[in-house]
Amino acid sequence: MPSKKSLHIESSGQLCIYCGACVGICPLNCIYLDETRITFDEKVCTRCEICVKACPVGAIEID
Amino acid sequence: MTDLKTDVLVIGGGPAGSMAAKWAAKAGAKVLLIEKRQEIGSPVRCGEGMSKDWLSEVGITPGRWINVEVEGARIYSPSEKVFEINEKHAGNEVGYVVERDGFDKQLAIDAANAGVEIKLKTAATAILKEGGRVVGAKVKEFGLTYEVRAPVTIGADGFESQVGRWAGLPTNIAMRDMDTCLQYRMTNVDCDVRYCDFYLGKVAPGGYVWIFPKAEGLANVGIGVQVSQVTSPADARTYLDRWIEKHPGYAKGKKIDMVGGGVSISPPLKHTVTDGLMLVGDAARMIDPLTGGGIANGCIAGKICGTVAADAVRTGNPSKEFFQQYEKGWRARLEEKLYRNWLAKEKLVSLSDETFDKVIDALAGVKLQKLNVHNILKAVRDKYPEVTKEFEAFL
Repeated sequence: MPSKKSLHIESSGQLCIYCGACVGICPLNCIYLDETRITFDEKVCTRCEICVKACPVGAIEID
Repeated sequence: MTDLKTDVLVIGGGPAGSMAAKWAAKAGAKVLLIEKRQEIGSPVRCGEGMSKDWLSEVGITPGRWINVEVEGARIYSPSEKVFEINEKHAGNEVGYVVERDGFDKQLAIDAANAGVEIKLKTAATAILKEGGRVVGAKVKEFGLTYEVRAPVTIGADGFESQVGRWAGLPTNIAMRDMDTCLQYRMTNVDCDVRYCDFYLGKVAPGGYVWIFPKAEGLANVGIGVQVSQVTSPADARTYLDRWIEKHPGYAKGKKIDMVGGGVSISPPLKHTVTDGLMLVGDAARMIDPLTGGGIANGCIAGKICGTVAADAVRTGNPSKEFFQQYEKGWRARLEEKLYRNWLAKEKLVSLSDETFDKVIDALAGVKLQKLNVHNILKAVRDKYPEVTKEFEAFL
């Protein structure tokens, strides 16, 4: 089985503005926002990349 | 912390939540409103433009939260032909540019005055279920976890709503039904305080650029881009920066604030209630899919929601069946327009810049008595008959 791509959410504040756009659109509900941190569930995430598109400031990367 | 009991638990202190809480309390219920942040209304994630014709319907008195009362809206085509919508033919659809944090606080004050208990820094972390019925939520207040038990729970937790999903109500939205948004508050710009401005076409694929004036020289300058039309990360920012760069009256401005967010531009949900739970506002995807405005619909549905919540408590029947009063009530008031505007949005996002130019050009040249789809199409057909072929469905 091919290994999953890696998803990185820059939520240290350099890019992320904590707007919640990624949280709202994630079809698997696996991105979590608390006030100063965004995390996602590595196991549930399928790397569909919808959150990458939804982020208005480009704080989510996949490679 | 010991567990709490209340009649109605409202999750989320935005306009829809405060409105639902207030009307439930006014109808005699014991209401607890929880807000995960430390401040109601902050941070603002909003363009801050709203219509005004609905305020009295839900019992909101205009207050100091109004920055500017505009006379109309100006719609710009890609080649910047302009069509002006003013109060004469748009009725009270045009309205205010507001201080959203002040507005939200006023609604929370109104709720508090009606007897609502409010807890800040209190997040719902899960819902409580018993026999398939929602009976409250597990919450975390200042790091302390406890349960709030309530026969009626109201999910007013905004665009990134969790409550509906936890309860098994599908609230997922497709990429074409969401805009990714970014906005700067800019000072030293050449805005016109008489108008809210909208720029359509490829400057903002599937959305628009907005200028909402807050004072002379001060405006919210923002963009929404349909997620399905995003081609590279940060397109919202790229397109907005590009628009600003091309407009000298804004390029010379200075940014003093930046906000982002997601806006649903979806058709109405199939279900917004289940046993023990009702969803309201952005959490229930009640945003107008054409304008992206959510405050009015959230407040209108919030009033109905709160009233039904109190009735359910009084009659001891917080069931899915009883909540049909809310489901049917908000749909009777809002659904037709939501669906119609979603269809219009579906059409508009597919238009070429050339078509937008023709439509706006045709409209700019005539005096419309009343702004409705029929009159718009007629005006366009008279000048560009080939264009209205794309709109047959609306004729």
